[in-house]
Amino acid sequence: MGAKRRSLWAYRHFYLFISPFFILFAVLGLYPLVFSFVLSFARWDGLTEAHWVGLNNFVNLFGDELLREALWNTLVLGFLYVPPMLIGAFILACLLNTGWLRGRAFFRAAVFIPVITPMVVVALVFGLLYDYESGIFNYVLGLFGIAPVPWLVDEDWSKPALAILLVWRWTGYNMVLMLAGLQSISKEYYEAALLEGAGPLQRLRYITLPLMRPVFLFCGIMSLIGTVYMFDEIFVMTSGGPGASSLNIGLYLFNVSFVDFRFGYASTIAYTVAFFVFIATLFIFRFQRSEGN
Amino acid sequence: MEDARQRDMDGTSRARQFVVYGMLGLLALLVLFPFYWLILSAFKSKEAIFAAPPQFYLRSLELGNFNEVFEQTRFFRSFFNSVFIAVLHCTLTLFLSSLAGYAFAVYPHAPGRERLFAFVLATMMIPGVVTLIPVFTILTKLQLVNTYTAMIVPGAANAFGIFWMRQSVQQHIHPDLLDAARIDGCSEFGLYWRIALPLLRPALAALGILVLIGNWNNLMWAFIVLRTDEMYTLPLMIYLLQGEMRTPYGQVMAASLLATLPLVIAFLLFQRQFIQGIAAGAIKS
Repeated sequence: MGAKRRSLWAYRHFYLFISPFFILFAVLGLYPLVFSFVLSFARWDGLTEAHWVGLNNFVNLFGDELLREALWNTLVLGFLYVPPMLIGAFILACLLNTGWLRGRAFFRAAVFIPVITPMVVVALVFGLLYDYESGIFNYVLGLFGIAPVPWLVDEDWSKPALAILLVWRWTGYNMVLMLAGLQSISKEYYEAALLEGAGPLQRLRYITLPLMRPVFLFCGIMSLIGTVYMFDEIFVMTSGGPGASSLNIGLYLFNVSFVDFRFGYASTIAYTVAFFVFIATLFIFRFQRSEGN
Repeated sequence: MEDARQRDMDGTSRARQFVVYGMLGLLALLVLFPFYWLILSAFKSKEAIFAAPPQFYLRSLELGNFNEVFEQTRFFRSFFNSVFIAVLHCTLTLFLSSLAGYAFAVYPHAPGRERLFAFVLATMMIPGVVTLIPVFTILTKLQLVNTYTAMIVPGAANAFGIFWMRQSVQQHIHPDLLDAARIDGCSEFGLYWRIALPLLRPALAALGILVLIGNWNNLMWAFIVLRTDEMYTLPLMIYLLQGEMRTPYGQVMAASLLATLPLVIAFLLFQRQFIQGIAAGAIKS
């Protein structure tokens, strides 16, 4: 015991240096985590007395039509924008990875700028671009003789409109990751393939794509999780509307929390969603790993 | 063989170069167009913004939108708030992360180190939405709603930052260097502050930029904890410019342009660090 205490004292600087993080995390991370777990069994508006409701909040999840709609929208939105975004990011990364390319820095900067732009600004500018009468989108469609599309005011079009914005916003980000992936592929593979006389398509099919699979999977899963918790994009652009046609989980959670002030029920949703997202992620990465072996 | 490879690199050149540059050029155009539109709209009159068909160039340079922003909103106050909050939040995050990351890297024999570090990594998996309400409740109890503290402190305990800094210390700082300084009588904190930190500058820059982008652009948390216009940050101020019935789009676009410029300029100057920072943030999980 004495020896142990001595060694703790010898390493006091270690504990001293990590303590600010742990203290702050205890207050603003761990305690909130427990607190919101407890809250998920209660009804509370943040001001008056909280009431225990047992498992009621969890039972209510099943009858919550808005939640079901938000879940559905999240899935639809995710599958609308993630595939084109990943394909676009991959093509861009391949183009930028071309050995003889000049002006690489310019192109990389150009596709990357959306990532550092405030989301509020992006959403507001796209709001103008989507305008029914004066927006560019409908103007360009008009040039091809296509009738104007009610982008943000029609329940069927709000999700595609958001998907276009999301592709624009996040392709550059994923491109950076894909570029890093491409650059980590050993040149020897390609040289060997060239010796065998493989054409560019064969090299893509048999070398690049299989080796890039983990990167695709990673980007895809991260983007889908991002869609679940996404907030700014939808909040500014459509506020979840028209109707609830673009309401996702993130925005619904915000509404239940800070518009309706149903802190208990919001905690229930947050915990449940986080749980399923966690399980799904774990499952997919496990699956990937076992398949890789 | 050398020949075949040569041809593949630059042989098919002309047609292939044309396709590659063409595609990249087109994509760059598509990506940059909204920015062009942002700049254009900021200098357009209200009527011109909603003109149909759209006006693709400026008929006249209107500075009215900017005047209105400066006169009718508390733009400079919001600008100051954004800068102040971003700088302090970044500094605090970098300090906590580097101090803890340094400790995890240079005291390999401290009892419980492995477990504590595993704990730090585990905290990365907690999604923010789960702790949103309790953190807000705590801030309310402490009467910190509508203060700078509410924007600066939450999120400063950054587990990823610790992971990132620990790795950088392991890569860039040799234990012998620290031992030598120790023999010269340098204190343990002095080792961190005077020896390690200067060597960690690139890693700090990458992490700092990642944190800065998130903080500068943050809308949701600002919306939740800031209440009065003298506390608003730029994203919140711009968001709230939108009216129930009518939105002064000229003002909105002018303010948006001014809020976007600082990061874009910083990005153009420090491109490499930005991309490193973002790529670093992505390897989180």
